Amino acid sequence: MTTPQSCDALVIGGGVNGLTAAAYLARGGKRTLLVEARAAAGGLCETAPLSDGALGPMAAHAFYALDPRVLKELKLARHGLKFSVRDAPLSLLRGGADRLVLTRDVRASARSIATHSKSDAEAWPRYRNEMFALGRTMRALWWNANGKFVADGVVERIARTGAAAWLDSWFESDALKALLAFNASLLSPLESGSALLLLWRAAQEMCGLQAAVAFAAGGPGALVTALMKACEAAGVEIRTNAEVTELAIQGGRVVGARLSTGDGVTAPLVLSSLSRHTSLSQLANRAALGLAERRALNDKFPIAEAKIVLALDGLPEVRDTAGAFNGGLIFAERLESYVLAHADARAGRIPQEPIMEVTIPSIADPDLAPQGKHVASVLVRSVPREIPGGWSASKATFAAKALAQLDSRIPGLVNRVIAAEVLTPEDLSTRYHTEAEDLDVSRMLAPWPQRVQTPIENLFLCGADADVAPAISGRAGRIAATIAIGKH
Amino acid sequence: MIDTLRASAFHARTAAVNRSNAWGTRNNVTLPTVYTNANDEALAARTRVALTDLGARWQLMLGGPRVIELLRTLLTRDVIALSPSNALKALWLADGGGVRGAAAVARFGKESFWLLSASPDVEWLGMAAAYFDVSVRDISAERCGLAIIGPYAGVTLEAAGVQSNLEPLAFRKVSWRGLEVLLSRFGEHGGYELWCAADDGVMVWDRIVRAGAAFGIEPVGTIAMDVLDIEAGIPRPHRDYVPAIDGSASEPSPGSLGLATLVDPEHSSFNGRKGFLATAKGETWRLAGVELDSDCAAPHTALIADGRVRGRTLSSSYSPSLRRAIALAQLEKLDRQGTRLSLTLPPSIDSTAICVVQATVADLPFLANPDSCAP
Repeated sequence: MTTPQSCDALVIGGGVNGLTAAAYLARGGKRTLLVEARAAAGGLCETAPLSDGALGPMAAHAFYALDPRVLKELKLARHGLKFSVRDAPLSLLRGGADRLVLTRDVRASARSIATHSKSDAEAWPRYRNEMFALGRTMRALWWNANGKFVADGVVERIARTGAAAWLDSWFESDALKALLAFNASLLSPLESGSALLLLWRAAQEMCGLQAAVAFAAGGPGALVTALMKACEAAGVEIRTNAEVTELAIQGGRVVGARLSTGDGVTAPLVLSSLSRHTSLSQLANRAALGLAERRALNDKFPIAEAKIVLALDGLPEVRDTAGAFNGGLIFAERLESYVLAHADARAGRIPQEPIMEVTIPSIADPDLAPQGKHVASVLVRSVPREIPGGWSASKATFAAKALAQLDSRIPGLVNRVIAAEVLTPEDLSTRYHTEAEDLDVSRMLAPWPQRVQTPIENLFLCGADADVAPAISGRAGRIAATIAIGKH
Repeated sequence: MIDTLRASAFHARTAAVNRSNAWGTRNNVTLPTVYTNANDEALAARTRVALTDLGARWQLMLGGPRVIELLRTLLTRDVIALSPSNALKALWLADGGGVRGAAAVARFGKESFWLLSASPDVEWLGMAAAYFDVSVRDISAERCGLAIIGPYAGVTLEAAGVQSNLEPLAFRKVSWRGLEVLLSRFGEHGGYELWCAADDGVMVWDRIVRAGAAFGIEPVGTIAMDVLDIEAGIPRPHRDYVPAIDGSASEPSPGSLGLATLVDPEHSSFNGRKGFLATAKGETWRLAGVELDSDCAAPHTALIADGRVRGRTLSSSYSPSLRRAIALAQLEKLDRQGTRLSLTLPPSIDSTAICVVQATVADLPFLANPDSCAP
């Protein structure tokens, strides 16, 4: 029998949050080991080859919530992280030539909105200012390990309001409401509290700009490369192809873990970037949990995301005066489209009208595809996590429906496809060892320790489940490491 | 789901003797609140023999190879050493240590247990049983029970032809002139309980009433039973406290309800143990009694001393045995026996004046079990 490896802190999962947590723990003086089940770290931030040398973002494709403190403190720019787009516009493409483009320029955005509704164009600057101001206030809670929610009438009202009702109270045009609702589309816009997701997005910052969307040069994998270098600089040991099969728990306290390689690791501190369900229900002995906690872990979130990555032999002829194709293109006809998509997904059906976000990162970052060619990344929101008969039987139907939607919004794009990778929720789950996270709005106003700490002593969550809302941010990793170091 | 009211198995008999025609419901079972006079009924339980319908008890049969594992996780006292035909009393707690329920748990066989509780917690028990693949059968409607309490309870049973020699917290099967019944001693007020199939309920009632006639047996309604509860210092769910509903709740804590004796801190695996131990350390409330300088009951009223609220009363009633109003109370831990407090009586139908009365903190129980002076 081999002697178990010993370290001060074990981090499970080498996604962005896991790498961030490991770097912070090592910087805090802990001998840190990070174990990753896959052959390479990175998790959902993967840039993989498609064909003809094209590189595509296989899961996450844009950054909108990266923790600026993580970027600064881990010196990720010095470790090579660059952004090809720092403030991408957000556009809505509907049937026909109907288009709406929102950019940093409030006047230009208002002009675009005015083609749909003059009163919405007037309301837009007020809405933006109010949400930005509230968002900045909420950073005290959402960005700090010891932040506490200070009762605020407006925020409390938002936390009880559906995104649909909130947007209806501000705007009248279907186009603007459909575009903005994408930021809250992890939940149905009718769901109480889903408006809080709009506020959460408004609180984020990218490249020093509030509520910006950015693309990493070289694809999302570039963030992982920079984080790996930060981990290396901090002295983190990273083991890949090492899946944790079981947590070792003694007297209600975690003391290490057993790996798929057969090795054991002893660590008085364990941070898991896996989901709450996997960490507590599969890796830990359920008997160590309370009955209510066990019941909560049984609730599976029925709605997930899918991904389609396309290699294109060129871009179709499209009029793009506002630079919309440099950013995120949202396909949603109206606010009700989200409601219907959620209802379909909840019922285990592929939505009639899938809600999609398309990016073509190769426009701003030509290195992602050979000369004259392009890569398109399609995120499909609100698809069923599980589907009757299994996803493999419905994959072709799903892809056909999504591509038909794509072709109707950007005519000629589908004819340019030379290679396609379709990743259903099942594929994403298998490929990245992830599962659809349950988003409980009430937890968004809870202090960080409530999400980070677990009933098992010295076991902390540092993944998307610990974050305020699921996103590639690294914030959960940073804050979980801070809390864990403070407690240990 | 709309809960439907149901009649107890003894309804035909209780209706016949319920001269005041006063009815109430407990756990959706219709029961007499007062037969003739609540004070007389409470005194009968202390001086003679009283009979009360246990139809509102929530009864479960739990069985399966992992039933011990379930009960060790669920209950605050360890059933592992419990031998067949014996019972223990315990609580079940939410993850955070809040009291969700209290029960007597009796062991039938190696893998079967009988759980009796004053208040149902279907969702929690069902969920816990599912984790351990334990079968749960609600027998509340198919089995009924009668409590026979008071100093002459034993002799009444003997007169009816049932041997009454039984240790507290024990039960045994009895073949009783053609009826299969269970005789138990689980009650907080001493005495005995007889359990039988619902169809046999009326016959059991008749036999006990006939045998007890010589000892002045009297049926007792729920109000008189509440008086006995308060005298004995027993808090009840939904009357004195709201059980924890949230699965992670830490309140009400066992200590604040005077139920900490039903928790075995040495029992290492019960749900909510960590929360219980954490709360027990910083417990600021305790359950106590207060004797009012008045005959008027004052339920759920603030208790004040030196201009500061020191606690509150829970259920309150006039005690015919003590000849004054008494109340269970949640008080600050520092308030000891003899501390004088004041409280404001609510206006009543015959007096609109607001009346401030004095009260004295008393240790519980006010009075011991009714059969403690058994001849």
